Amino acid sequence: MLKNYLKTAWRNLWKGRVFNAMNIIGLSVAVACCIMLFLTVYYEFSYDKYHTNIDKIYQFYFTKNGAEKVEKATSMPAPLTPAVKAEYQDIKYITRMGNGGTVVRYGNTQVEKSIHFVDPDFLKMFTFPVVKGNNTAPLKELNDLVITEYAATAIFGKTDPIGKSIELNYSGEPKAFVVSAVVKDFPGNSSIGFDILLRYENTPEYQEHMKHWDWHDHTVFVQLNDNVKPAGFESRLQNFVKKTFKSTIADMKRDGAKPDAQGNVYTLNLTAFAKNHFNTDMDGLEGNTVNKSYVISLLIIGAFILIIACINFVNLSVARAFTRAREVGVRKTLGAGTWQLLTQFWVETVLVCLFALVMGIVIANFALPGFKATFRSQVSMDMLLQPVQLVVIIGLFILITVVAGLYPALLMMRYKTVLVLKGTVNTTKPGKVRNVLLVTQFALSTLLIVCTLITWQQIDFIKKKPLGYSKDEVVSIPIGKTVSGARALELFRNQLNGQPGVVSVTGAFDNMGNGKDGSMRTSVTGFTYKGHNISTNVQGVSYDYVKTLGIQMVDGRDFSPEFASDSSAIVINEKMAAQLGGKNVVGTYLPIDENKPSLIIGVMKNFHFRSLRTEIEPLTLVMSGYDINYVFVKVRPQNLSQTFAMIESKWHQTFPNADFAGSWINENTERQYRAEQRLSTIFISGAIIAIIISCIGLLAISFMIMVQRTKEIGIRKVLGANIAGLVMLLSRDFLKLVLLAAVIAFPVAWWLMSQWLQSFVYRIEIQWWIFALAAFIAVAIAFITISFQSIKAALANPVRSLRSE
Amino acid sequence: MLSLQHISKYYQTGGNKTFVLNDLSLDIDQGEFVSIMGPSGSGKSTLLNIIGMLDEPTDGYHYFMDEPVHQLKEKQRSALYKQYIGFVFQAYHLIDELTVYENIETPLIYQNIKGAERKALVADMLDRFNIVGKKDLFPAQLSGGQQQLVGIARALIGKPKLLLADEPTGNLNSKQGEDIMELFKKINKEDGVTIIQVTHSEKNAEYGSRIINLLDGRIESTTTL
Repeated sequence: MLKNYLKTAWRNLWKGRVFNAMNIIGLSVAVACCIMLFLTVYYEFSYDKYHTNIDKIYQFYFTKNGAEKVEKATSMPAPLTPAVKAEYQDIKYITRMGNGGTVVRYGNTQVEKSIHFVDPDFLKMFTFPVVKGNNTAPLKELNDLVITEYAATAIFGKTDPIGKSIELNYSGEPKAFVVSAVVKDFPGNSSIGFDILLRYENTPEYQEHMKHWDWHDHTVFVQLNDNVKPAGFESRLQNFVKKTFKSTIADMKRDGAKPDAQGNVYTLNLTAFAKNHFNTDMDGLEGNTVNKSYVISLLIIGAFILIIACINFVNLSVARAFTRAREVGVRKTLGAGTWQLLTQFWVETVLVCLFALVMGIVIANFALPGFKATFRSQVSMDMLLQPVQLVVIIGLFILITVVAGLYPALLMMRYKTVLVLKGTVNTTKPGKVRNVLLVTQFALSTLLIVCTLITWQQIDFIKKKPLGYSKDEVVSIPIGKTVSGARALELFRNQLNGQPGVVSVTGAFDNMGNGKDGSMRTSVTGFTYKGHNISTNVQGVSYDYVKTLGIQMVDGRDFSPEFASDSSAIVINEKMAAQLGGKNVVGTYLPIDENKPSLIIGVMKNFHFRSLRTEIEPLTLVMSGYDINYVFVKVRPQNLSQTFAMIESKWHQTFPNADFAGSWINENTERQYRAEQRLSTIFISGAIIAIIISCIGLLAISFMIMVQRTKEIGIRKVLGANIAGLVMLLSRDFLKLVLLAAVIAFPVAWWLMSQWLQSFVYRIEIQWWIFALAAFIAVAIAFITISFQSIKAALANPVRSLRSE
Repeated sequence: MLSLQHISKYYQTGGNKTFVLNDLSLDIDQGEFVSIMGPSGSGKSTLLNIIGMLDEPTDGYHYFMDEPVHQLKEKQRSALYKQYIGFVFQAYHLIDELTVYENIETPLIYQNIKGAERKALVADMLDRFNIVGKKDLFPAQLSGGQQQLVGIARALIGKPKLLLADEPTGNLNSKQGEDIMELFKKINKEDGVTIIQVTHSEKNAEYGSRIINLLDGRIESTTTL
């Protein structure tokens, strides 16, 4: 029986090979897209799930209900952890976590590795199983060191690292540690990433930090006891907060803080580590967090494409149902039961889908490297073989074959056998279902077109928006760990001094945009001034910062080596000046450091030192107290690439052991919008694929319609219709549907995109012409597609089409 | 074997009933060869379709092999049909995607007959109709007469008791038509298959043992030859 089904199915498919090829192409492209998109989505959702205790782990954060805004901060003071642990029974495990980088020396090997400073509970909370060495208490001693397999191989090669002593330099002076355990490498979908674990007590100036409740510089993770509810624990914590942070709370109240529902202005809260990867609500979390809506939009685009391809499938099958109706009738007279017929059609559908699935996997396999590069996705094809994915694939497969295969089959089944065999089944009726499906397809496509246009417009807007400083002729070079910042800057400044093409050289604590080193630093400080709490971003700089970055001064002057006192002076931006009371702030002293007030020597015009997602915040430039991590070089606009090469070679000449990761600042600022660019690339690819697949369906359907209307066309031609009129006549019905689809898509697109634009402080207005353009694109593409068939039909000789009747 | 009593078939158009069959009664015995004749629109095909259970009457009683067809459920009717009835069409209605062999085999598949047995049965049939050499050809590669031959072979493969033929020679030339009618006669005589055919041709009608003339949905006259 099955053999017979397969045989007939194959012959039927072969007979309609043009249609089926279209079907399969559309479906397999859709399958390939879905595989890649859904795997990416799965990957993002699988983040950190390898921790067995993930549901019980929380991260602490403070909520400050300020007068103007609510601030959430994850950084904690060092004495908090021991104090909380001693006071509360709810806590099973608790660990501080400070991140850093270090130079590791072992024998002749010298490498840079990343460190996490943690408390011993860390390894009990998080699932980093020990594969070698002490697996009961790997961080018992202060000089114990835990290392990942990966880092162990990099440092020790094939020798057994356990018990070996290595020298780390992370604070300026080398310290020796003993490797006590090697832990298994963590998977790529891990928020927490490190090479080396050290006891938290090894952080620089630990003892000093333990004395200060207002030095917030690390994160804290806690695992609650099994029966403890986080909300209950949070409310119990409030006693501790009120007791410990009395002065902070008093200051906040003085500045007009707005209490929350429980009447608290300053609270210590818990955020679930399980939701860490999608938590874009606050800064200072482990790993790169991802906006959930971004992941969801991938899922939706994938679903759209799949739906569009399935609609094609249904429409093509329905279109062919007319030719198959006679076969169904004959089979019925030969004694076929309904189920036997349904099975036969289902087998055909399964064959097509199976073929499309295999082809889709092949296409995905070829497209994956490009996809991974474009969308920074970590997926691989063997992820498909995991049980969850297999079940989903098989489930989706069966669902699609049933929906797409059975509907047309049932439709054919409904035809009256007697009428079919007489050949008088009315096949020209327009088919409401078909129209609904076509409208759905084009609505989804138009939606994607609108999204593409708006994303593209917004990105263009951001790229072209003036930032208030010069980004085109400035090279930014991360200094790295191997050389010390301030000294490196001096050395390099001297090297470049007098070089043709170089205008000026400076250094700073934080980069502009996202550099090639991928690091981001934020330093915010607060102090009381004239009875108000003032908060400002702080940027440590060297001489010529203002000049090098082309920032305009509104008042006063830049730092100058001619004034010795400038080392303790500050330069502020307009926003900061406004916060201080506005006019004539130059010359006043600010108590940033209570013991040593700083003189304001200049006010800069506001510039966008962060991405355009946020408003410009108060900024203070200081000369001391901050490391120099980046060198900036302003060059003349001529021979940019040549100058860049010169800078690179000078760098290598000056620091033979250091990497050169320099880049133009305009590259750095563009890098800030990578997520948006990826999103727009996804929208564009999604829209193009959706449109192509929709057009395949439209092409096939129009072909069917033309065949059915051949006689009508012939008669009209005989009666004197011209070609253009006929083409319009034949296209009109379809174009109406496409327009209707566009109109349906517009409100949805408008709503979606205005939501998305909300995430930008600086954003475009959605223009009406975007919608008009999208509709025009959709209609034009549809018209061209239909024209292939309609022109052919209109040009056909009427004698032939009429003779056949 | 077959008894139709007071069969009517009509369509409601506006306030009027348009009768296709009007209170028609008819009995046919095992082994008969009946020809139904009549002008276009007299209800010949409808009658045949009702007998073949492809269509249902609006009123009346229909007994086949002592079963009350008008009371049977779809499933039982289809079982009855599968077991006892074979159909031959004017337009042959072979399945284009299947070879001659497979076309003949199809009814057996629907009767859930095992592969080996099917093979034997089809081989016999091909042999009997002298079309062994054509078994791997597709319908499009055959002449009209040959196609109708395959159609008849297909109708007979399930060993039906009743063969229904709706203008079986309508699309054939007179020589081919004669051959088909001879074949019918032979099947009727040798295998004892009851045959009911609808035809326009006096000559072909005379191959049968009884001619029923229909007019406006009623039996106008019956001639026994």
